[in-house]
Amino acid sequence: MCLNPNETSPNPSHFEDSEETMAAPAHRDIAWNDYKDLIKGMRFFDPHIHMVSRTTDDYQAMRQAGIVALIEPAFWVGQPRTGLSSFKDYYSSLVGWERFRSSQFGIKHYCTMGLNSREANNESLAEQVMEVLPLYIYKEGVVGVGEIGFDDQTPAEEKYYRLQLELAKEAKLPVQIHTPHRDKKKGTERSMAIALEHGIDPSWVIVDHNNEETVKSVLDQGFWAAFTIYPFTKMGNERMVKVVEQYGPERIMVNSAADWGISDPLAIPKTAALMKMRGISDETIRLVTYQNAIDAFGKSGQIDVTDFEGDLKIDQTEKFHGNSILRGGQQPEPARDSLVIQ
Amino acid sequence: MSDIIKQKLWSVLTYNTSPAEADWLRQKGSSNPLELMTAFVAVPRFVPKKIITNSPELKWELNAEFPGFSVENWSLVRLSRVWLLTQLDPSDKSEYIKNIETLFDTAEMNELVALYSALPLLSYPDQWLFRATDAVRSNMGYVFDSIALHNPYPEKHFSELAWNQMVLKTIFNDKPVHLIEGLENRSNEKLALTLSDFAHERWAAGRSVPPQVWRLTGKYLNPALLADMQHLFESENEEDRKAAALACNESTLTSAHYLLAKYTDLEKSVKSGELTWAELEH
Repeated sequence: MCLNPNETSPNPSHFEDSEETMAAPAHRDIAWNDYKDLIKGMRFFDPHIHMVSRTTDDYQAMRQAGIVALIEPAFWVGQPRTGLSSFKDYYSSLVGWERFRSSQFGIKHYCTMGLNSREANNESLAEQVMEVLPLYIYKEGVVGVGEIGFDDQTPAEEKYYRLQLELAKEAKLPVQIHTPHRDKKKGTERSMAIALEHGIDPSWVIVDHNNEETVKSVLDQGFWAAFTIYPFTKMGNERMVKVVEQYGPERIMVNSAADWGISDPLAIPKTAALMKMRGISDETIRLVTYQNAIDAFGKSGQIDVTDFEGDLKIDQTEKFHGNSILRGGQQPEPARDSLVIQ
Repeated sequence: MSDIIKQKLWSVLTYNTSPAEADWLRQKGSSNPLELMTAFVAVPRFVPKKIITNSPELKWELNAEFPGFSVENWSLVRLSRVWLLTQLDPSDKSEYIKNIETLFDTAEMNELVALYSALPLLSYPDQWLFRATDAVRSNMGYVFDSIALHNPYPEKHFSELAWNQMVLKTIFNDKPVHLIEGLENRSNEKLALTLSDFAHERWAAGRSVPPQVWRLTGKYLNPALLADMQHLFESENEEDRKAAALACNESTLTSAHYLLAKYTDLEKSVKSGELTWAELEH
């Protein structure tokens, strides 16, 4: 978190702090119109994106770019919560309002539930959160416990990480691990060692925010390796292409982790287009931008692909509400280029 | 709530579940409150997500036992959840209320739908009034529908203010008003007059009002509403003209009937019973 009043860098993402200097973006002007044909007909699954921080424009653009389903991990909302009710309302919104909002754009919304590492440091509050968490992890569409793990790597963080690993084990849910920004390599190793110590099968654990330095060990130990494509400060998608070229598609997945910072909800379709341009096979692209995420989080038993693999125009969740007149209603698309607002 | 309803719901359930699924439900239905509540949440992990089918006899029996209550087009998950709620022991009032409130407080969208669908069956019906009006305030379409449409709770328990709010919001959101239980019984003058204001706003914006909503005004026509009828008779939309004819026919004002008499074809079809509101229900 920003402790320096002279700090001038832009909003940090939820998984980074603002210490890192912002790299100037390399010149890459490939417009959507130029690459959208490359990924025509592809379906994408974003296994890490914080839609509560995003607008309806994003939902529409995502749907248009082929994103059919997503996972919204419970996270730190940018400033510390001061009471249990804030946590409860946030968790409820992940399975309630946000899920509904997403359905209006034809995107199937799943989530992971957990106490994030930053707020694990507020121990008296963390204690209360742990009491209500079991009420949420059994909810329909909850595909894992996450995002949990280390931030500052404090004893309190470790304590609640371990408690939540046990919770995941009991509920038979996958675990989505947030790896720390500072001291990343050690933090990642430590997160994995603790998961193994708790007897958790690494094929049930998705280690997130990897980079070139961490990926080998994660894959060697049998974990899933997720990569976050996040502009300026994190993985760029050109580097991602190289990782896939080197390691192949097995147990690798791409996400956007888009949140309130300068991030890109279209990170996955853009990365897919770039992979296509660089000659990576369609099957490999499908695995890292869609199927692997479904296989990993599908272990929860909560993902039914027929919910989003049917007719792309129709929100399949509606069929569970019977009468088609009673739909929640798809949002109409406004004419964005028009000066006149109707 | 009558035991007969519980039994009928159980019959519909067994009609749609495998023996193993029914066993799971039966066992959870007779367990302690905490286990039952956890089962309420976990239902989709144990019963398939599908729309139920119902035999015509069961459909008829259910409606005879509880007019207005219907499980038509429900998912099996929703029905299972509602049945589980009927198994919660109401003998300790404060404990019972606390348990239901906890379910509401932590509910996801489909659970909310089940909870609101179950309101007519819960004990201490007045306790749930605030919750019920909260569902009307909801912007989640499915949640709103679960209280407003095909649900007999509002007709029985809503104040006039809450009722009117619900009907107006149904109209505002372009949902079919004829699916509201008790629409005729609870019609009132205030609602009819507000509807006129609402229509004027829509017309000013170059938008229209679903013709069937004028069914709420017939009994309460006054000079202002009569002017609206005139406006409808002059509409290019045939259904607007039909709605005006039907509404005027239901009025006790002689001036309404004079107005109707100007449109002989419409007058004939409405007086003969050939034209009814049912034709405008969509």
